[in-house]
Amino acid sequence: MSLFSILANDPAQTHSWLLPENAEIIYGGIASVLVIGGLVKFAFPQFTKFLNARTERIQKELDASASDLSTAQTDAAGIRQALGDIAGERARLLADANTQAAAVLTDGRARLTVEIAELEARATADIETAAARGSDELRAEIGRVASIAVDAVLPSVLDGATQQALVENFISKVGASR
Amino acid sequence: MSDNRIEGYARALFEIARAEGTIDEVEDELFRLARTLESSDALRNALTDEKIPVARREGIVEDLLGGKATGTTVQLVSMVVAGGRGRDLPAIVDRLVQRASSAKQLEVAEVRSAVELTADQQTRLAAALANATGKQVNLKVVVDPSVLGGIVATVGDTVIDGSIRTRLDNVKGRL
Repeated sequence: MSLFSILANDPAQTHSWLLPENAEIIYGGIASVLVIGGLVKFAFPQFTKFLNARTERIQKELDASASDLSTAQTDAAGIRQALGDIAGERARLLADANTQAAAVLTDGRARLTVEIAELEARATADIETAAARGSDELRAEIGRVASIAVDAVLPSVLDGATQQALVENFISKVGASR
Repeated sequence: MSDNRIEGYARALFEIARAEGTIDEVEDELFRLARTLESSDALRNALTDEKIPVARREGIVEDLLGGKATGTTVQLVSMVVAGGRGRDLPAIVDRLVQRASSAKQLEVAEVRSAVELTADQQTRLAAALANATGKQVNLKVVVDPSVLGGIVATVGDTVIDGSIRTRLDNVKGRL
């Protein structure tokens, strides 16, 4: 015997205490079917759509996050590369600066050496010129003093006898010259 | 003064002196006077200054040569000075001496000495210069104290310098 039959055969009640009337069950069942059908027809698509939209939004956010992560990683790599480039550039600039400084130093030393040599040569020439000029001036002064001395002494030296001797000497030399 | 005029004066003086028969003395005296004129600015200015009257200039000539030179020489110099040619007297005299020497087929030998030369020295010097140059010379002696000692002889283009002045100048140059 089924449960429904036992319950329906309760003699104390004209209607089952548990089960509604058949008609109620039918109507209720139909109503439930209608409600559920309405829910399936109208609410479920909206719910599905909502879930899909949410899933899509989450996916988008995940994609955006992944994209941001990728960008961040790219940027980080770029920054790291830039840091490396800066270090390389710094090293290159320092190397260039060192090279140029060495070249300037070498040129400066060479130029200073040449200038010092020129200055030494010029100073030597000046000293020699000054010495020569001093020697010339001394010679001229000796000549001048000697000239004055000769002019002062000569008249007393050239007396009559000397004059006659000079004349005779000239005549003798000219006479013997042919 | 033009060359022709100097030559004309020289020829005139020469002819007058030769006509007077005193060419040798006149030539010699004029030569000495010319050299004196060259060495004395004061005398040259006195004889050539046009502001001084001619009579005064002739008087200067008389005072200078009177009793020391022949009358012909004095008259000839006075004539040149009076003619306003005193400035050209040395050049005129040089031409006269050349002309006189050429007439005797002699080369003029100008001798500058610090002292007077004796006649004997002049004769020997003329002979020596003739021997040295190969030409007979008409010796003209000028006493020139600037040579200091010795002699400078000029025969044509040839200069024989035995003066103390030149030796002294050479020594000074070397010094």
